[in-house]
Amino acid sequence: MMGPVLRRAVVRWLIAGAGACLLLARAGGPARAQAAPDVAVVVHPDVPVDNLTFAELRRVLLGDREFWSSGVRVTLLIRAPVARERDVVVKGVCEMTEAQFRQHWIAKVFRNETPTGPKIVYSNEMAIDQVMRTPGAITFIEATNVTKGMKVLKIDGLVPGQAGYKVK
Amino acid sequence: MGYNRPLLRRFPCHPRCNALSVCLAMAILSGPAAALAGQGPSSGPAPSQQHDMGQPAGAAQDYPTLHIAGFGDVDYSQTKQPEGPRGFSLGQFVLHMTSELSPRVTFFGELSFTARSDAGTGTPPAAGFNAEIERMILRFDESDRLKISFGRYHTPINWWNTAFHHGQWLQTTITRPEMIQFGGKFLPVHFVGALVEGAAPAGGWNVNYQAGFGNGRGQVISRAGDAGDNNGFRATLLNFFSKPDRFFGLQFGGSFYFDKITLPDTRDFAERIVAGHVVWQKEDPELIAEVAAVRHQQVDTALVTWSHAYYIQAAYRLPQFDRLWKPYYRFEHIGVNPMDPVFTTVPNLNDGSTLGIRFDASQFVALKGEFRTWRRASSQPRNYGGFFQVCFTF
Repeated sequence: MMGPVLRRAVVRWLIAGAGACLLLARAGGPARAQAAPDVAVVVHPDVPVDNLTFAELRRVLLGDREFWSSGVRVTLLIRAPVARERDVVVKGVCEMTEAQFRQHWIAKVFRNETPTGPKIVYSNEMAIDQVMRTPGAITFIEATNVTKGMKVLKIDGLVPGQAGYKVK
Repeated sequence: MGYNRPLLRRFPCHPRCNALSVCLAMAILSGPAAALAGQGPSSGPAPSQQHDMGQPAGAAQDYPTLHIAGFGDVDYSQTKQPEGPRGFSLGQFVLHMTSELSPRVTFFGELSFTARSDAGTGTPPAAGFNAEIERMILRFDESDRLKISFGRYHTPINWWNTAFHHGQWLQTTITRPEMIQFGGKFLPVHFVGALVEGAAPAGGWNVNYQAGFGNGRGQVISRAGDAGDNNGFRATLLNFFSKPDRFFGLQFGGSFYFDKITLPDTRDFAERIVAGHVVWQKEDPELIAEVAAVRHQQVDTALVTWSHAYYIQAAYRLPQFDRLWKPYYRFEHIGVNPMDPVFTTVPNLNDGSTLGIRFDASQFVALKGEFRTWRRASSQPRNYGGFFQVCFTF
């Protein structure tokens, strides 16, 4: 049987462990509860569009809409896999898994419906740089990274941060 | 699912390269080269990202561009009564090339290499593989509403024919439905001519259209008139389909095709084809249904025949096991009018059932296993068999 000294040590360890768990849970609690920031849809300043419906945005993302109304071809800039912005547009907007999204674009090019798939950007800075330099470009960045001078589209009439904004 | 898994990659290269030599070099070298590329630091694009996503942003756009990708498959089959290949067989080795010639003009090519069962026979001996230009299309994109192209197409009067083309990896099942089988005669698989196409939002209905004008079937009715039409009547086609926003994943539409067929014995037949499709493209579930009716009338006679075909396919990607497994079932039927002189060599299919499962072994490789049972006519014995396929894209 367990001696009294060993029993006291085990009880202390258990109390210390429980305390540590409580502290960790408190520390993690507010972070988990904090909502992830909305994702802003940013376009080149010359794109003649201020608002897209959610369905139109999905058509752009899936390559079903290839041109802006001015006749400029849409250049789709999407973050590389694992980035949260990519997850938001692939899963939240396109309602697809990463594998389905890849297969969709492979098939799209193979069907000759579009010459190329989306272009990959590896950081928000790269996305911002490219969208400002490429006519017709559209990209997706966390709303907290939006700076002055960037053209952010409304989705269904809402800007990031407004209640009901769907790109999140 | 590792995104940096070293896999075969798409190769952008300069268009002045001899296309064939590039293809061969790619086939030989791409594996190890891509594997090495995938082992490098993660600062650049992973090979698997390049496959479907074109070039990384920031690369200078220099026309013309050329990208090559491809599909391949290896098959195994065992049937009760001999029909089709037995044992292992090489499926098609398919290469497709896309090249932007300017911001609005693109070229698309698709080459296939198919193993021949008569290899080495005849004089001169037949080659081991048959090379074919499956598609060769030059397209001008004015806008989403208007795109004009010229070349050789997969005839857009059947959904499967233009959704999967020669990409076995893209389709859920091992084979195409028999009504649109490659080398089949029921529907014209290829079309040579010009196509006008486009799409309009139409209040969220997203109506797409395709209108074609070109050579119809050749004297061998399974082939398009690649070297010219064999009569003075061009084929015309019209295809409409809708992808409504409200039911994302749904597509439905219909097609019409008009042609005059001249058989080798010089008899002429007016051909009319009416077809329709309904597709639910999400994978939980995936539903595909198509129907086509073919009307032939011998010119200057009252002989009119109708033949019809349909299939319905259902699949479901299981949410368990990382969504890698996808069981499926297909039922199909082809009813050929025995009085139709044009379809004398087209086999009937009283009923055909396919039960199978697809396993996505990696992002670009799939394994499929199937059991099929079919009967050509009610008076004939039922045949059945087991089939296996490993297919991939690179």
